[in-house]
Amino acid sequence: MNGEMLRLPNGRSWQVFSGGAGPDLLWLHGLRGVDPADPMLAALQKRYRVVAPVAPGFNDLDELSKIDNIHELALDYDDLIEALKLRDFALVGHSFGAMIAAEIAAHFPRRPKRLILIAPFGLWNEAYPVADIFAIAYTQLDDILWHDAKARDAFAKPAAGEADAKAAADQMINLARSLTAVTKFVWPIPDRGLRRRLPRIVCPTLVLFGAEDAVIPARYAEDFRAGIRNVQTASVARAGHMLPYEQPQQVLELIGREPVAG
Amino acid sequence: MKFHFFHLMPYPDLPADFREKNRSVWVDVSSKLFDPAVGHRAYNDYLDELEFAASVGFDGICVNEHHQNAYGMMPSPNLMAAALARRTSGVKLVLMGNSVALYNPPTRVAEEMAMLDVLSGGRLVAGFPVGTPMDTTYCYGQSPATLREKYREAVALILRAWAEPDVFSFNGKYTQLRYVNVWPRPVQKPRPPVWVPGGASVETWDLCLENDFLYANLSYFGYLEAQKILDGFWRAADRHKVEHNPYRAGFLQFIAVADSDAEAERIYTEPALYFYQRALHVHSGFVNPPGYTSVATLRAGIEGQIARITKRAGARAELATLTWKDLMNRGYIVAGSPATVADRINDMADKLNVGHLMVLLHFGNMSKEVTLYNTRRFAEEVIPRLRPRFSEWEDRWFPKDILAPTPPSALVTEPTRRPHAGDVA
Repeated sequence: MNGEMLRLPNGRSWQVFSGGAGPDLLWLHGLRGVDPADPMLAALQKRYRVVAPVAPGFNDLDELSKIDNIHELALDYDDLIEALKLRDFALVGHSFGAMIAAEIAAHFPRRPKRLILIAPFGLWNEAYPVADIFAIAYTQLDDILWHDAKARDAFAKPAAGEADAKAAADQMINLARSLTAVTKFVWPIPDRGLRRRLPRIVCPTLVLFGAEDAVIPARYAEDFRAGIRNVQTASVARAGHMLPYEQPQQVLELIGREPVAG
Repeated sequence: MKFHFFHLMPYPDLPADFREKNRSVWVDVSSKLFDPAVGHRAYNDYLDELEFAASVGFDGICVNEHHQNAYGMMPSPNLMAAALARRTSGVKLVLMGNSVALYNPPTRVAEEMAMLDVLSGGRLVAGFPVGTPMDTTYCYGQSPATLREKYREAVALILRAWAEPDVFSFNGKYTQLRYVNVWPRPVQKPRPPVWVPGGASVETWDLCLENDFLYANLSYFGYLEAQKILDGFWRAADRHKVEHNPYRAGFLQFIAVADSDAEAERIYTEPALYFYQRALHVHSGFVNPPGYTSVATLRAGIEGQIARITKRAGARAELATLTWKDLMNRGYIVAGSPATVADRINDMADKLNVGHLMVLLHFGNMSKEVTLYNTRRFAEEVIPRLRPRFSEWEDRWFPKDILAPTPPSALVTEPTRRPHAGDVA
């Protein structure tokens, strides 16, 4: 994918990766930012023109000082979508990115043509609370993100040895910075009132969960279904929170499925 | 040099198998372990010990704030400082302190600290810690992404609330107040001395040096391990072109005084191991939430940090088999005869250049009897040997001109009479 720095009229800078050909698809990444070599993005580019911006704070935490809350974050994405001249696009988000995608669709219902939420944060149900991913040492975070150990091993960057201390340090700083950006919008409970705004979403919506998601129980699909007018849900077997990387074929197939009129 | 008796007020009755049966002493520690009768006894013993320290010549007595834990039972150190203000005079009340980002609005802290300063006649040291990650982000729900910014804004508001004679408006990012007008106002002008207890962070050093606050490094791992941290602070002082006045800095040290090393081992092993093995048993997931340590601080010490984390992870496992000898060899606790202890503190003063020494003479489940013994021996046999150190420097970080004490009067036992009309002013 090609990365570029986009300067918006409001003075904000965005790093945006893009590639592929076909209908426009705006991809909002999960907890670790955008990897240009992401296999899910590579697969999507065979069918779509994929645009993948890096969320505010993930590159530079100072960006967050200009964004006080989830509403200002949605406004920032609206500015970006305007600058990218995206029309009639599919809005796809994973994890934290799916929470943002839902907020964009709720704040600006006429922007996306359809919405796909993959293991979205954003709702809270006391009966089956979202796991506290921040009460786990960084080094153990993957234990809760992944269900499929084989997929996890294939995805993992080889652990840096002694000689790679600098690279290991950078990796840790990047992860710390990414998660810090996430905490701004989900700490201490990932609920910023999205449930009240879900009924504003008008486009056809698909909510996907890994059946074995240990971060956000798959039952949250029902909470999303209860709030969104035109919604379908699907559960992907043998997958956890990282389902796009654990069961990529199924997820691709579900993303590609044309929405049924609700 | 000045000496301050620091009390953590731990819960003293955690079971011997606490480590094995519980994941953390902090945040989600089971309330079933808390017996109010034990707590009642402990609070009152601990206040006795602080008052005793005041009576044997310590410069300050210290209390601090922690939440949802058995490590230290002071969610509100201000309550303890208020109790101490009534039964002491002369000794300074070192409140170490209030985590100001947790209070809404933070003028609450300005008010309570002003109350304490007035009640005590100007004896308050105002501590403004950011607060541990366990307390601030997990127990009190603050986002680590905004905690430090909120903290800095709150400190600025409190200082202004003490200093400005007139009502003012405060339009902050985290606090908006149309009318700020704190009553009462502190005795000390323009404000009580401000101390910032902290670990090692670039931001804390800069904050202290820019505002003339004292920086206090509170470590459980002794002065040898703190060398790097204090070196970092004094290098930061050079960057700020600030003189190396030792009274700008404070340090916390565990101390155990006895006739000999062997006697120290006999008396102090149990409470020391209680502290390190039970009171310090914090779940690793509660120690370092993303964002609590800034990227700048990570960058400044990242390689050391990784090594430290690895080392600490190893140390964590080792804590289970820790011995008195380990504590001595690693310098976590300074122990032995008064002469030995004084030598070690002199060495610490040379190495760290700190003028304010906070000492933990009570730790773990130490009994009141042992605490008073340790405290008296330190006060009578160690402090006099060290008193003259750093006397060439002016200490601008400690209360000076306190009001004449108004001790509590004896309880009234006579029947009160009805006032005559002429009595009423």
